[in-house]
Amino acid sequence: MHETDIHDLSDDADYAAASKQFECLGGEVKGYWFRGSSSVTRSDSSKKSSSSDPEDAQIVYLKDNVTIHPTQYATERISGRLKLIKQGSSLYMTWIPYKGQSSNPRLSEKDKNLYTIRAVPFSDIQSIRRHTPTIGWQYVIVVLSSGLAFPPLYFYSGGVREFLATVKQHVLIVRSSEDANVFLVNNFQDPLQRTLSSLELPRSLANGTPSSSFRGSPSDNNNQERLDTVTTSEDNHSGSGQLNIRQRQKTHDPARDLSIQVLEKFSLVTRFARETTSQLFRDNLVDGHGHGQSQSQSQSQSQSQGERRRNNWASKDHQPLEMAPIDDPIVPKLVPVPSDPIEFDKLSLVWGKPRQHPLGVEEWSSFLDYEGRIMDPDALKKRIFYGGVEHNLRKEVWAFLLGYYSYDSTYAERQYVVSVKTAEYMTIKNQWQSISPEQAKRFTKFRERRGLIEKDVVRTDRSLSFYEGDDNPNVRLLHDILLTYSFYNFDLGYCQGMSDLLSPILFIMQDESEAFWCFVSLMERLGPNFNRDQNGMHSQLFALSKLVELLDSPLHNYFKQNDCLNYFFCFRWILIQFKRQVEFEYDKTLRLWEVLWTHYLSEHLHLYVCIAILKRHRGKIMGEEMDFDTLLKFINELSGQIELDPVLRDAEALCVCAGENGAASIPPGTPPALPIPEASIYQQQDDEVL
Amino acid sequence: MSYAYLFKYIIIGDTGVGKSCLLLQFTDKRFQPVHDLTIGVEFGARMITIDNKPIKLQIWDTAGQESFRSITRSYYRGAAGALLVYDITRETFNHLASWLEDARQHANANMTIMLIGNKCDLAHRRAVSTEEGEQFAKEHGLIFMEASAKTAQNVEEAFINTAGTIYKKIQDGVFDSYGIKVGYGGIPGPSGGRDGSTSQGGGCCN
Repeated sequence: MHETDIHDLSDDADYAAASKQFECLGGEVKGYWFRGSSSVTRSDSSKKSSSSDPEDAQIVYLKDNVTIHPTQYATERISGRLKLIKQGSSLYMTWIPYKGQSSNPRLSEKDKNLYTIRAVPFSDIQSIRRHTPTIGWQYVIVVLSSGLAFPPLYFYSGGVREFLATVKQHVLIVRSSEDANVFLVNNFQDPLQRTLSSLELPRSLANGTPSSSFRGSPSDNNNQERLDTVTTSEDNHSGSGQLNIRQRQKTHDPARDLSIQVLEKFSLVTRFARETTSQLFRDNLVDGHGHGQSQSQSQSQSQSQGERRRNNWASKDHQPLEMAPIDDPIVPKLVPVPSDPIEFDKLSLVWGKPRQHPLGVEEWSSFLDYEGRIMDPDALKKRIFYGGVEHNLRKEVWAFLLGYYSYDSTYAERQYVVSVKTAEYMTIKNQWQSISPEQAKRFTKFRERRGLIEKDVVRTDRSLSFYEGDDNPNVRLLHDILLTYSFYNFDLGYCQGMSDLLSPILFIMQDESEAFWCFVSLMERLGPNFNRDQNGMHSQLFALSKLVELLDSPLHNYFKQNDCLNYFFCFRWILIQFKRQVEFEYDKTLRLWEVLWTHYLSEHLHLYVCIAILKRHRGKIMGEEMDFDTLLKFINELSGQIELDPVLRDAEALCVCAGENGAASIPPGTPPALPIPEASIYQQQDDEVL
Repeated sequence: MSYAYLFKYIIIGDTGVGKSCLLLQFTDKRFQPVHDLTIGVEFGARMITIDNKPIKLQIWDTAGQESFRSITRSYYRGAAGALLVYDITRETFNHLASWLEDARQHANANMTIMLIGNKCDLAHRRAVSTEEGEQFAKEHGLIFMEASAKTAQNVEEAFINTAGTIYKKIQDGVFDSYGIKVGYGGIPGPSGGRDGSTSQGGGCCN
């Protein structure tokens, strides 16, 4: 992906064995690689090293393709070179982004400079947290003594282990007793405690949590046990079974989990996370009381009732120490349900901002300059994300959201676009209109498509007044647009579900050509859902399973044990974007769509919407031990039970919480992300599903 | 609502042949030409009586379009009966073989399959003769019937005859305790006694 002048030879044993000494080549040194305790050097006199290296310094570690993800967009990632530099007795870390490699014009050099790490001494570093997601790249988060942290550094070419090993050679680090993946630098206190206190979290959050584990209380048996088994040996690096168990245990301590989330959120020094986190620390007045009670209650519950369940849950994956307070009191519980590992209720309060009123005409005009350009598209998208758009504005605003109008176009330019595009539409439409009956007889594909479309448009939203009644001209328009689209994109053609996506667009645009082109834009993103092999659907369902694994491992394990990992029960949600009155009212569908189309926070918010809905019913799903059939039927019948605003708020919370881990769970090019033209460097490990 | 057995049915066939209308006619005794097209699957249920025993039919009405086949295949698991529907006025008859192949591959081998030539009220537009339907059913060991979701002709019979055949198979001991979703006594077991059925269930959705 990123071409470099250096080849990573860290896995080349011969090469590694060839050199066993550090070499100090000062400014001429270009690359060192380490393997275990040996070091490898390569000099490259043709290039000068980065000017940011301290003079007379020794580069003890260098790794290319270490990347940060400022946003969730694959195109906005910034790759660079990570170095550890030894000068005297001090160790420094630098990360310098590559120059001029970005394919994305939105990423200016200024943006890159914002993230550059220039010679940070390890005396300023408090801890390093290593992450090994089950999918995606390993990354580390470096937390400074100040409590601030650098954005996660993703090691695209591996090398986290060598990085930590090298640090260990030069600086005193110990593995945290709290978390085997946290390495404390010059510091034996609990990093979480220090970080949290330095962040000045609202007291209610810290005090209300019943477990003292992150304060390291000796009365906490679990904690004591963990302290006993702590090891700083690097042999345990990549997660032995024991480590995994310990980590899993940790994920069931909600207090600690929340604090970890907070810690990590704070580290996301990105455009949006920065404001989100500061918002959190200012506004968060979470009531932490009562949690301890429910925990101890459910603990005894689990002891009396949990045996059967315990056998069903893979014991290493799930420690039935605590059961969730019943999240839906109406539902009779047949079996105890493992608690939501990220304390969903609180999470939503912390992270999901209150929804706002829809964008109105007056406010809308404040986004436009005197010639009609959108001055700050990102601000507009954010505004729509949190409130949607008033109905009478939708025709205009949707054209932007869908990409029919460009944000920097003027009123006049848009008028011109409309006229040109209308003519173009008529040309394409004429292609099938000019097919004579005689020609159609010899054109099976055309007849089949036309037949399918004819059958489907009369079965699409006919209960809406806009489409109801015999010979409704709008039904005819649906037909014409879909048939025209199947000529515009002959390879994709027509597939069921398209009429469901087009119907609201035509309803809003009220114009055949504009509806067509808006639909075309939407299909640029959602087209893979309708491929014959439905690869777009499969990649989304795959990503969904990965996200649930990340955000609710007990639910994931439940699905796994009940053969539900294909997530087919979410198929309709995703294919037609929660449309159908079954899921949301029509007007709510329009609201949801415009929120999703902002792609604010994530292009894949819809997946978090799925999880938000599933999480609302997780107690029932697991408590009643639903199998695949029952679950499918249950999901199908969630008619009218889904309130849009709370679900959106939950989805936002989940998305923020998942952060980079979440983004890394979604393969690049997964709809509605635009397809990636070049081959991806993403390492997909689809060993479990689909 | 207690019942002696719960039979899972799956309705399959090309898009637009009238699968959802047959279901609606059977469960609600009405014909609704204007309804949403089926994405994924819809469910219907009705109690019937066979041999004085109450039997609940849980009916899965699937989407017919080719692209959805991979999803549809995951629905066969545990089905005791299938209604394979074609439209006597259209070319859909030609696709029966591929539907049958799917059913054979992904459902229990003992699943009862009823072939239904729907829209027999439109005799003037008939493109498939009754004999052709009969012939196909005979060749492939299916029960056959022409029906009309619009006039309700043979709709009851189609669903109930299928149940009768399934019931007889149970009496004859053809069905094991697994592979077919047969519920007892009113509480459909969460896992329906499907334990160990993987060898029969096909590997469609693991």
